Amino acid sequence: MKYTLPGIIGAAMIILAGCSSKSAVSTSGEASDAGYAAGAGAGAPGAVTVENVPVDSAVAAPVLGDIFFDFDSSALSAEAQQQLKQNASWIEKNPQVSVTIQGHCDERGTDEYNMALGERRAVAARDYLTTIGVGDSRLSTISFGEEMPFDSGHNEEAWAKNRRDHFITK
Amino acid sequence: MKTVSYSLIRTIFALFCLVLLPSTLRAEEVREYIAISKEGSGRIAVVLDKIAAKGGKESEWAGSLDGTIQGGLDFTGLFNLMPAPLNIRSAQGGALNLGAIGSIGADVFVGGRVSAQNGNPALEMQVWDVTGKLLLSRKYGGQESALRDIGLRFCADLVELLTGKRSVFGTKIVFVSNRTGQKEVYLCDFDGSNIRQLTNTKSISLTPSVSSDGRFLAWTDFSSGRPDLYIRNLSTGSTVSVKKQGVCISPAWRPGTDECVTTLSHEGTQDLYLVKANGAVGRRLTSGHSIEVSATFSPDGSKMAFVSTREGPPQIFIQDLSTGAVRRLTYTGSYNTQPSWSPAGDKILYSSLQKNGEINIFAINTDGSGLLQLTSGSRNNEYPSWSPDGSMIVFSSTRDGSRKLYVMNADGTNQRPLLKMKGEQQQPSWSVRN
Repeated sequence: MKYTLPGIIGAAMIILAGCSSKSAVSTSGEASDAGYAAGAGAGAPGAVTVENVPVDSAVAAPVLGDIFFDFDSSALSAEAQQQLKQNASWIEKNPQVSVTIQGHCDERGTDEYNMALGERRAVAARDYLTTIGVGDSRLSTISFGEEMPFDSGHNEEAWAKNRRDHFITK
Repeated sequence: MKTVSYSLIRTIFALFCLVLLPSTLRAEEVREYIAISKEGSGRIAVVLDKIAAKGGKESEWAGSLDGTIQGGLDFTGLFNLMPAPLNIRSAQGGALNLGAIGSIGADVFVGGRVSAQNGNPALEMQVWDVTGKLLLSRKYGGQESALRDIGLRFCADLVELLTGKRSVFGTKIVFVSNRTGQKEVYLCDFDGSNIRQLTNTKSISLTPSVSSDGRFLAWTDFSSGRPDLYIRNLSTGSTVSVKKQGVCISPAWRPGTDECVTTLSHEGTQDLYLVKANGAVGRRLTSGHSIEVSATFSPDGSKMAFVSTREGPPQIFIQDLSTGAVRRLTYTGSYNTQPSWSPAGDKILYSSLQKNGEINIFAINTDGSGLLQLTSGSRNNEYPSWSPDGSMIVFSSTRDGSRKLYVMNADGTNQRPLLKMKGEQQQPSWSVRN
């Protein structure tokens, strides 16, 4: 759990940052139309202030994006390969960092088979990264099978998020 | 009319007492008789009389033994238990009226008494069939603290007497629960009682397995930050670890040996290896680039069934350990895992992820014939494991929401919860005999 927490926080902050700036811009006009801008009680109706918030670099470090898989598969999709290329360039720019690749599965299928499948997902990413030039001494893999789902839901939306490789930096 | 028949039976009974009391029936005859009578109902109809006692402490013991014996026999799913009819004993002298048993459709009568001998309980039990044959007359003794074991010992004898097979009594089940918030390994008795926590890894513990002699426990946990294999000697408590790069999952003990099989990937591919109880990694049993996992041994240890993706999605295969010859067992379904080889050697259970999203348990003969679906319409039913006597199956199911342990008879009937416990329970393995 301690490994993933910074990753989750980092990812959440990135997502939140993206959401808030986008909604702030797009709602500035609608807010006054809807008639509840007065509730803000400050400045002209619809006024929105935007400022960048600096983030602690230790938390921000895991900019390595997750990659996702099909059910019962460790094959790398075109999107996964694209993400891995981005991850590789970040890893190359940060030579002091080593990376652990966690392989995860959705809750379907059986526990022990998914332990094996999770490892294959992690190894698939490691092999791809080394093929495009990342030194394999900087990469390690671990499988958590279906033990640590990102989304605890029981539907395809949740499962799709859980069939993933997650990247932890040290 | 009634008076006539009672006195007639009393006479017959008295004759039996005189002639047959010292002898007991040969087991084959009993089984033949029961086999015939079982054809109708599928269960052996048993009149279970209350244990007699003379008051005080003895009556307390009797009440406790009644509960143990009724609960134990009920649990097996082999019996249709009936209370004794009012006319079970004659008004004078209390002689058994076996005609009353036959008239309510029972096959056998079970009764007895408990008394104090040197302050300890002594249970004397008798089993009669409707024709007046005495099938068993036996005395069970022990410390007062062993009262439950005394009752269960009789239950074990009764099952063996009437079915010719060893019973489930005295066996144990290991499983995983997240009761503490983390997944740890637990042990319970055959009926879900007497739950004990075996590990305190404060991490994720998975796939426990106990050797057939009950000496060794093997499991995987993440306490080192990685999934390593651990093997504990349950009598000394000493634990060894097998720390290899990569994955390590689903150990299974080879009957009659001190070695287990487990999946390791330290040589680059996920393959099955034999590992000694002292942690030494031995022979590699499979090779190739597919997933090889979840092995289970035939009772003689000469073959293993396991899951492989060598031909596509996961299927069950059987490998001969001496020749290395492999054949595919399952062809129905596209996601078959978690094989469990029956103690009799003839069947293999497995779980199948079906197109409707359910996971269900199937039984198949080892030659691939006789496919039988044992669960359906109840969400995910996983991780089947045979009782050591082959009469029952333990498994996990999400039929009531969260994942809990259930048992069923070997033919899939009589499915019911095994135990009540906080949190989720999973990965049961039924393997220990006392």
